[in-house]
Amino acid sequence: CQKELSDINKNPNAAESPQPDYLLTSVIKSAADNYWGSTANYSASQLFIQQWARIQYTDVDRYVFSNASFSSFWATVYANNITDLNTIIDLGEAQGNPNYAGVAHILRAWDFQLLTDAFGDVPYSQAGNIDQYPNPVYDKQQDVYHGILEELDLALTTLTEGSAPISGDAIYKGSIGNWKKFANSLKLRIALRISDREPELSKQIVAQVLASPAGLISNNAENAKVTYEASPNWNPVAAIFSTRQDSRISKTVVDRLYDLNDPRLPVYAELPKDTTKYVGVPNGLTTGDAANLGLSKTSRPGGYFTAAEAPAVILTYAEVLFLRAEAAARGLSNEDAGDFYNKAIAASFNQYGIASQTVINDYLAQSSVKYNPANYKRSIGDQKWIALFGQGLEAFAEWRRLDYPQLQPAAAGVLNGKIPVRFIYPGTEQTLNSKSYQDAVNVQGTDNLLTHLWFDRY
Amino acid sequence: QERTISGSVRERGVGDPLIGVNISSNKGAKAITNESGAFRIRVNTGDTLSFTYLGYQLQRVAVTTETTPLTVYLSASSNSLNEVVVTALGVSKARKSLGYAVQEIKSGAVSTAKSTNLVNALSGKVAGVRVTNSQGNMGSSRIVIRGETSISNNNQPLFIVDNVPVDNSQLGAGGSRDYANAISDLNSEDIESISVLKGPTAAALYGSRAAHGVVLIKTKSGRKKEGLGITLNSNNVFDKPLVLPEYQDVFGQGANGQFSYVDGNGGGLNDNVDESWGPKMDGRLIPQFGSNGVPVPFVPHPDNVKDYFETGFLTDNGISIADAADKYNYRVSFNNSHQTGITPNTKLNKRNVSFNTSFKLDPRLTLTTTGNYFITDAPNLPGVGGRRATSTMLQFAWFGRQVDIDKLKESYFSTGSPNNWNNAYYPNLYFGAYENTVQQRRDRITGNVGLKYDINSSLSVNFRSGVDNYNDRRKLRIAYGTSGTPFGSYQETGYKVNENNTELNLNYDRKINSDFTVNALAGANLRNNTYEENDQRAPRLAVANVYTLANSRDPLVSASVLTRRRVYSVYGSAQLGFRDYAFINVTGRNDWSSTLPAEHRSYFYPSVNGTLVWSDLLKIQSNIFSYGKIRAGWAKVGADADPYKLLDNYNFGSPFNGYPVLTTSGTKNNPLLQPEMTTSTELGLEAGFFSGRVRLDLSVYNTRSKNQILEINVTPTAGYNKRVTNIGEIKNKGLEVQLGLTPIKTKAFQWDADINFAANRSRTYDIEPQILGTDGTAQVIAASGRPYGTIVGIGYLRDSNGNIVVGEDGLPQSDPTLKELGHFPPNWIGGINNSFSYKKVSLSFLIDASIGGSLYSGTNSTGDYTGVLRQTLPGRDKEHGGLEYYYPGNDKRNPAMPLNGPAPAGVTVYDDGIIFAGVGENGSPNTQIIAASQYYKSRSSIDEQYVYSASYVKFRELKLGYAFNPSFLKKIGLQNAVVSLVGRNLFIIHKEVPNIDPETAFNTGNGQGLEDLTYPSTRSFGLNLNLKF
Repeated sequence: CQKELSDINKNPNAAESPQPDYLLTSVIKSAADNYWGSTANYSASQLFIQQWARIQYTDVDRYVFSNASFSSFWATVYANNITDLNTIIDLGEAQGNPNYAGVAHILRAWDFQLLTDAFGDVPYSQAGNIDQYPNPVYDKQQDVYHGILEELDLALTTLTEGSAPISGDAIYKGSIGNWKKFANSLKLRIALRISDREPELSKQIVAQVLASPAGLISNNAENAKVTYEASPNWNPVAAIFSTRQDSRISKTVVDRLYDLNDPRLPVYAELPKDTTKYVGVPNGLTTGDAANLGLSKTSRPGGYFTAAEAPAVILTYAEVLFLRAEAAARGLSNEDAGDFYNKAIAASFNQYGIASQTVINDYLAQSSVKYNPANYKRSIGDQKWIALFGQGLEAFAEWRRLDYPQLQPAAAGVLNGKIPVRFIYPGTEQTLNSKSYQDAVNVQGTDNLLTHLWFDRY
Repeated sequence: QERTISGSVRERGVGDPLIGVNISSNKGAKAITNESGAFRIRVNTGDTLSFTYLGYQLQRVAVTTETTPLTVYLSASSNSLNEVVVTALGVSKARKSLGYAVQEIKSGAVSTAKSTNLVNALSGKVAGVRVTNSQGNMGSSRIVIRGETSISNNNQPLFIVDNVPVDNSQLGAGGSRDYANAISDLNSEDIESISVLKGPTAAALYGSRAAHGVVLIKTKSGRKKEGLGITLNSNNVFDKPLVLPEYQDVFGQGANGQFSYVDGNGGGLNDNVDESWGPKMDGRLIPQFGSNGVPVPFVPHPDNVKDYFETGFLTDNGISIADAADKYNYRVSFNNSHQTGITPNTKLNKRNVSFNTSFKLDPRLTLTTTGNYFITDAPNLPGVGGRRATSTMLQFAWFGRQVDIDKLKESYFSTGSPNNWNNAYYPNLYFGAYENTVQQRRDRITGNVGLKYDINSSLSVNFRSGVDNYNDRRKLRIAYGTSGTPFGSYQETGYKVNENNTELNLNYDRKINSDFTVNALAGANLRNNTYEENDQRAPRLAVANVYTLANSRDPLVSASVLTRRRVYSVYGSAQLGFRDYAFINVTGRNDWSSTLPAEHRSYFYPSVNGTLVWSDLLKIQSNIFSYGKIRAGWAKVGADADPYKLLDNYNFGSPFNGYPVLTTSGTKNNPLLQPEMTTSTELGLEAGFFSGRVRLDLSVYNTRSKNQILEINVTPTAGYNKRVTNIGEIKNKGLEVQLGLTPIKTKAFQWDADINFAANRSRTYDIEPQILGTDGTAQVIAASGRPYGTIVGIGYLRDSNGNIVVGEDGLPQSDPTLKELGHFPPNWIGGINNSFSYKKVSLSFLIDASIGGSLYSGTNSTGDYTGVLRQTLPGRDKEHGGLEYYYPGNDKRNPAMPLNGPAPAGVTVYDDGIIFAGVGENGSPNTQIIAASQYYKSRSSIDEQYVYSASYVKFRELKLGYAFNPSFLKKIGLQNAVVSLVGRNLFIIHKEVPNIDPETAFNTGNGQGLEDLTYPSTRSFGLNLNLKF
């Protein structure tokens, strides 16, 4: 009778023992959706840095946000991705395949980097361990970046090529070598992120990654990205455009690309139905002012971004080159900043299928493009912003750090003429993790869109 | 000396024979009336005979020498002490012997002024029972007795029909339709009586599911026929919306005062804007929907929302045939109801066949069977909630005031296209109503088979097996071309619910001596419950207008769920009575549940209660004081978990890049779960005065639920959204008063007034705040030290003096800390039912009230944002108090300047200026002018602005009946005929929230106190006809 009752309570709907490869596919898809989707990307960061703009439902483009706005982004990272990744680490170890653990640490590092870039202080050291820490404390942003760096180092030492193969890898199809390049590239990204605060540590990390035998992402084929499929596993941007017409490309980026004769314009933007010219929408208009522009008279983002199979781009060769350029410009390495700057732009062109060296050279020859060693932040900031089109969160972080391009706040913004510099913590933290939340707010400052984060020193 | 007397028992006032009346003498002799109400019993002169019958007052008759034959008339009980009521496990007991509160209502109280949802008929009639009608008259209703005792699990009572637990789930809540809760399948025409067992003390024998009370329903059974034994019943009721929002009729669709229609999708001037901050509707010429680009007068259509609504009609017709004889009795009924809703193309049909039989296979062996087959078949249910493709009130919250609903109707019916006044967000309402439909069909069988064997006059054995089984299938269509869903979609959802209970018990009933009686029961129950759900969706159709799952552009999205539960129980109860005025009852039950870990699977819970009729003890009866009783009880009730809450689960996803997908369920399960326990104590006093013309029943209770099995919300940072654990506590304490009055009672005229009142206070303890429901940023929570159902949300930022802080831009600032704004449970609820009868005419009306408690209204918030509500008129132009202002340099990025004197050259002057009442950050009064649209939009995001008192007083029910003269009827072959005029929810006497009915909710879950674009409730009126042949 006892056994019979226990058998009845065996769940027929779900697995009670998971497999690391199935979890890995799931977490890659989930993390990509979360990163590339509405909450963090095209309804927030891409509007702040004026890659996209709203023509309908303009509230978010006017910085009207509440403490419910970013909840799903936050909860997906913690209650889904981190838990699955922790399980993969445990299973990988238990099954004697450390490569799963290595990959999982890299993905953890990336997801925590997205979180801390957006919110600042976040639970890290006690996160995702409900039995021991039901109410995780918030770690300072500095400590989160340090933790991420340690995890990446752990991954680099754990991952072994040629030994235990992994499956379920929707990013690199099991190429451990590429995962190591991704890990080094992430380290480089973080090295620059903290460079205004901890230049010495930055310098060490730059030296490490440049000396690492595993290397960095060194061509566009090695870009870290998740490639979507047809519906229902389609790109979140394709999904939203299949039903909604709320978004357009921002006037800021269209005007800038026109000014620079940038051949990426036809990639980034689509011609409106009623005109033969690309037309962006100014950010932060009122409902009426935006509606006046007309849905058929303004440009949607280009097909590269709105196709079902479009990729969610995580970290590119172009970004690595921009990072090396900046590291050089800051004296963190002995490389040639201008050279890497040019290579970075060329890599970005290549990424979008623009291969002609003549086109690239003509573009680079323009005085408005030429690398300016006297103001490397401006040169790199402006061009990186263009290259990061679509990657709202990364572009948002780099804009805050480099302070270029110089953006005009939303026309009808509600922040007294300012642009957001962080996300608001979810309201559920106030109710479900109140002490930790209060401590964090006491340390970091008011929980609003305008509190500067630690890395954003200037 | 001992002799046999004969007699009959009849219903007082009606004269119908009563079948199955229990007769016992003080010497222990027993008899029961047969199918013609006759009985025979052995007595001695000087004995006292007691006549007990369910729903009737106990009657005592002294046997005198000439007593034969005896005719006894029993009166339908009106809450007096001698009433016989159904108690747990279907055992009938005299009210006087009960140590807890139980209230019973009769057939007529629920069947005459009929509601399509049985639960609604209980509203205002039973002290401590709180009913909330969610949305419209085809939707769900929630019933809670004595407040919520579980933090986040179901808080509704267990429903038992003829000893069979029946399901009252609301499956698929929260979607585009408010599917009715499952108990609404029951037809009130078949109901004989409803007993409400209010708390754990009354219901302890039922186990876990009874912690929130039990609603015991007894269906009608066979009676000896007079005439043909056929009863016809017909209800015909019209429905109208009870409350619609009050709209403004001054400004039309558009933004910044501009509008011109080309295609409703951005082709014209603001014609994709669905807000009403457009031009004044002063007859100026503007191209509009349906004018083919020709400028036509821009004028309001004040009734454009009202005119969409239709008069709903319900016709409910039933026939029943009943008879009884020595060895059998039976009743068979058939009911058919057809209802059309208050919006176009909404229909709900119900049919049921029911039978109730009893056969005496042997003088000692009785076989009883009941069976019901219900069909609920809705070709289309009204669209509720916030889906643009299907919602009714969502589109009306944005509906341009100049829109001519007739033009929309004409457009859809002539072209069949979704073309609308606004095509950026919505399809034409009529297109939505006719093309984007939901079909629901539920086939349900309930019933039981029982065998009773009388071993001797004291001991009997009962076997019973009952089933409740239904299939509920839904087909959701979204048509091609629907705005936001260009390829349409199609979804089929199927539910299968099955519960089987089999039990065996022994019943011992004996008068030990002239002082003591004992009644004992011991039994065992096996409960099996299965729930299945199968969901398949074609997210985008391949071709238009073909609704089949194969017609899909994409792989189907599917999910299936199967859960099973088994519980073994043994139970026992004993009642010891002393001289018919003192009783003590004890019960105990032990369950073994499949859902708990082996070591905690078995759990026991007892109850004890006692009662004393002190008026009998002290023999203090007089003309003024009729009776008095006190009672006290204590009970504990255990509960198990839901299935599969012990081990962590990983869910499958759709394969990606060719790899299978598994992911955490987001819930941390718990292998160490323990059963939860609710304890309750209850004290009561019953007293009657003036020969029972004043009847008082008072109860106070205290319920405490500890260590609840909850899926609590946890901070996601711990790695899960929810965690299964034993945690938290709710304390409920309350007071209930029932007062029955018969102020006038003459032969021809009687006036009865039944008053009930209940106040309940709850507090939650030892738990992080649990979110019970959300609407935007407004949340309903259970939090430590706070009342259950506290509403929190975004409040205004206020300075230390309580002034609203306004920013430099003139807009109110919101407080970054969530603010407590109220709580949804009312402070008290009550009802007054007055009934008058004069000869053949009867009139009764019920007024009920729910006072206190709060409600967040999303309709008011959205309506402020969109500018359609009348409350957005102040300040919108000079005529409505707007201030004049201009922007220096005509640049709207500059702060608006008030116009003092003539305007500077070249600037545009606006007259829709408002200054938000508040102070700047330095504490000085705010002086910054803002445009009216900004004013209303800025406040629309502050939840505090939209939390209102949910108090209401409703004129709930009206019945005016006439019974035809029997002698006249006999001539035309009728036994009985009653015609009644009936009305429900005729009007709201008092409410405090504008634009909506405060009695509203999304569904029957715990997240009450939130309103958003809910489908209107209805007022209904009609005619009921009851004919007996």
